Amino acid sequence: MAIAILFVLLLPFLVEDIAFRYNDNYLKEQKKKVLSVIWKNGIDAYLQGEENYGSYTMLKEEYISMEPAGNARLPDTIATLQRVVEGDTLTYRVLSHIFTYQHNRYMLEVGKKTATISQYNRPLQKVALYVLFGLIVLTTLADLIFTRLLLRPLGVIISTRLVNRKFPFKDHVPSIKTSTTDFRYLDDSLVELMGKINEAFEKEREFTSNASHELMTPITILQNKMENLIAEDSPDEELQRKIIGMMKTLHRLKKIVHSLLLISRIENDQFPKTDDVSPYLLLTELMEELEHRLEDKQLQFNMRLSREIVLHHLNHDLIFQLVYNLLNNAIKYNVPQGQITVSDRVLPGEMYQLIISDTGIGIGEHEIGAIFDRFKKVARTELEGYGLGLSIAKTITQYHGIEISVSSAIDKGSTFIVSFPLV
Amino acid sequence: MKVLIIEDEKAMAAEMQAYLEKSYCCDLAYTARHGLEKMEENQYDFILLDLGLPDRDGLQLLQEARKNCPEASYIILTARGQLEDRIKGLHMGADDYLPKPFSLPELQARMQAISRRKFGLTDSKVALGDFDIDLHQRSVFFEDQEISLSRREFDLLSYMLLHKNRPLTRMQLSEHIWGNFSNDDYDSNFIDVHIKNIRKKLSAFASVEWLQTLRHVGYKIKI
Repeated sequence: MAIAILFVLLLPFLVEDIAFRYNDNYLKEQKKKVLSVIWKNGIDAYLQGEENYGSYTMLKEEYISMEPAGNARLPDTIATLQRVVEGDTLTYRVLSHIFTYQHNRYMLEVGKKTATISQYNRPLQKVALYVLFGLIVLTTLADLIFTRLLLRPLGVIISTRLVNRKFPFKDHVPSIKTSTTDFRYLDDSLVELMGKINEAFEKEREFTSNASHELMTPITILQNKMENLIAEDSPDEELQRKIIGMMKTLHRLKKIVHSLLLISRIENDQFPKTDDVSPYLLLTELMEELEHRLEDKQLQFNMRLSREIVLHHLNHDLIFQLVYNLLNNAIKYNVPQGQITVSDRVLPGEMYQLIISDTGIGIGEHEIGAIFDRFKKVARTELEGYGLGLSIAKTITQYHGIEISVSSAIDKGSTFIVSFPLV
Repeated sequence: MKVLIIEDEKAMAAEMQAYLEKSYCCDLAYTARHGLEKMEENQYDFILLDLGLPDRDGLQLLQEARKNCPEASYIILTARGQLEDRIKGLHMGADDYLPKPFSLPELQARMQAISRRKFGLTDSKVALGDFDIDLHQRSVFFEDQEISLSRREFDLLSYMLLHKNRPLTRMQLSEHIWGNFSNDDYDSNFIDVHIKNIRKKLSAFASVEWLQTLRHVGYKIKI
């Protein structure tokens, strides 16, 4: 494109240059013609006895003049000069030539009006421009068609293999039809790569699940041992206190294992998505479970939900867990006598949003990106917690194709928005 | 009542036995084969069955055991928490399903719940000090006067009554009341608040000395 623009800009100069060169050649030809006439017919054919000779065409576009040159010695020159022809001063391109004829030296001048030389420049330029534009359009079109045809497999590879693929890549996509070995190679490599990713993911999932199960038995044994120790009703208070401490630690371990197992089960597709969920009923049910904790912190709970909305194709237990985890955090990180508000809205883009906001301690700017990550310790979880509640929430939303977003500022509280597609 | 514990983890079987022995007579079996042998020798009221046995699939064993011992109540214990297993197990005639890790008081509570259900105890009234507790109606009476307790308060009281003379920790109590939704905050005083309310409501009528606070540990009903 830059080359094309440069060409367009240079075009007037180019055309002019070409015109002048062509004209100079023309003048030389004219000179040769005149000289050959002189050699053939003698100089008098022109001079007819007079000292000078001058002749011009009707519109003074060209002229020829001959005069004695005296002793002046000049090589042939071509220059743009002013000449006075019958009282008109005009600009000519003039070829001057000095020649000797019968011991007399003469100067011959052949001239052509510059205006005449340039008169074809404009149309020439126009034609050149049209041709140029035509060529550009043509090559662009040709390029497009060619790339469309030749690179079509690439587009197919991108759209089927890469864009909008949901992890894990379970759905099988047939191999792309192409005769180009490079594309074949690319497609095969991508399929292989995804296979490897899947395999690694599968392994991790299996490991998490197996490890969690294997951990459950020893945890149960430990827990039961401690329960039996407590049940013995020993009078040793210090010992009792230590056992209770151990039980708390074990309880924490149990919760972590439970959470990991839950995540791994969700990722294993073990929850059928066939339930209809009414957010209003769900929240009412949930608040019953959480009431005592609201009271404990003297939190004010506001619920503004439409009773009519029913969401489909969900797993009730998981959605319950999702909202529970969000509310749990809203309580846990709230300030005494704070507020929790649950509201909803239906967006025109076929979207139902559940909005849970609190007046809690909030999340810092540099932490907000990591709160959904597994085991990412965010400053606010230093109080308590395992950094798994929100990562479970994230896993549940991903499993259902629900969006979850958060906005927050330190000491201003947090707002979580869960967006359910209404299909 | 006789209980057979089929569990390949010996340490775990021993702990279950230690806890249940106060109310039940327990036999242990570490393999499915051994368990089936025991069933031929004895009549059991309860069979606690681990699904992850080394020599046989637990659900398969359940089917066979139910043929040999149809009167017994079965509780499945498993570390495999899959929903399908649970549904399958209950479908195949198990009376309850307890995922590991479970707490021993919870196990006992489930067993007692099954007993009540199975034998249709007509007299569900239990005396507690000067009070009568109706476990079916979920109500508390002093003489003929009903004392109203909240749902949580009644759950707590009946759970402690079920494990009378045994200490229960706040964690065990809160896990029973709120299940998976119990707070991660172990030092929370939710249980204490409920206990305080129970004491307040009941002591207006008679002494509640039987409801004891155990320092560091939790609570106990002593009668």
